[in-house]
Amino acid sequence: MKQAEYKVPGGKLLVAETEVEDGVLTSVKVMGDFFMHPEEAINDLEEALNGKETVKIDEIVAGFFGEKEITLFGVSEGDFAHVLKLTLES
Amino acid sequence: MTETWRLIDMRIEDAPTQMSIDEAIALARPEGETPNTVRLYRWNPSAVSIGYFQSVEKEVNLEACEEKGVDIIRRITGGGAVYHDYNGEITYSICAPENDPRIPRDILASYELICGAIIRGLEELGVDCEFVPVNDIGAGGKKISGNAQTRRHGVVLQHGTVLVDSDIRTMFQVLRVSDAKISDKLIKAVEERVTNVRRYLGREVPFKDARDALVKGFEETFDVVLEPGELTEREEGLVKKLHKKYSSREWVFQR
Repeated sequence: MKQAEYKVPGGKLLVAETEVEDGVLTSVKVMGDFFMHPEEAINDLEEALNGKETVKIDEIVAGFFGEKEITLFGVSEGDFAHVLKLTLES
Repeated sequence: MTETWRLIDMRIEDAPTQMSIDEAIALARPEGETPNTVRLYRWNPSAVSIGYFQSVEKEVNLEACEEKGVDIIRRITGGGAVYHDYNGEITYSICAPENDPRIPRDILASYELICGAIIRGLEELGVDCEFVPVNDIGAGGKKISGNAQTRRHGVVLQHGTVLVDSDIRTMFQVLRVSDAKISDKLIKAVEERVTNVRRYLGREVPFKDARDALVKGFEETFDVVLEPGELTEREEGLVKKLHKKYSSREWVFQR
């Protein structure tokens, strides 16, 4: 399992944990003290990423937020892709 | 004529009950019978609440909680971990429709407005404080209140902590500040970033005075009269159901 933290400047903390096999995400968890309404959407985001290639993180995250009516506070859409990609470097 | 909102006044309950009551009010509010509501409450036993998205193991010192008899609960709202000290903290919550003309659509503006009620209350006690974006209130550069909001079913629910005389040493024994090994010196630095009303004023403030000041803060900010009331039967029924969720290990340890 790989883990990364990203403190959004002037915003909240994002923590991501991923497991990767052959370039594919096999486990994804995003945690932190941010705000997302509705809260349960975080599970859908993790599910949307699960089983997908790591090179597609940006695309999947952008597509996810583009499709759903989700309000973020203290973080932005791009921060999720950023912290997830940070786990790949760790 | 000034509008009347319901005040659920200083109920003392355990962590699952407190969180169930807040959610029950938010669920019942769109159904019509539940009025706009402000709650002030205390947690017995003392508890740590963590934000919806937080990892319980990362945020909470489980052994210290066990040892001190401090409950652990996951909130329905995002945000950070809070120590609710039975002997030193008041939690508030407010629930109103998202389309209430008094509630700004913009989330930051709504935090600022609702936190404004707490600030008025604290100022009534003599604490000079200010809104610290994105969701805190600071006094003398130190945190004295943290706040968390959710919006669902067309309602806004915001709850937050007001540190009256919280034991700040215990706070940082039950909360984990970071994974990094923290020296005593650093712990001290963290403790110095938080204050409470008693520390700030250098005198004891009875819960009743803090309660009265917060009621006044809400009444003036929202131009309403808070009238003490009880939960509806519907809400009490929801509390019973929700209590099972909040007290389950599945809920608390989901992340």
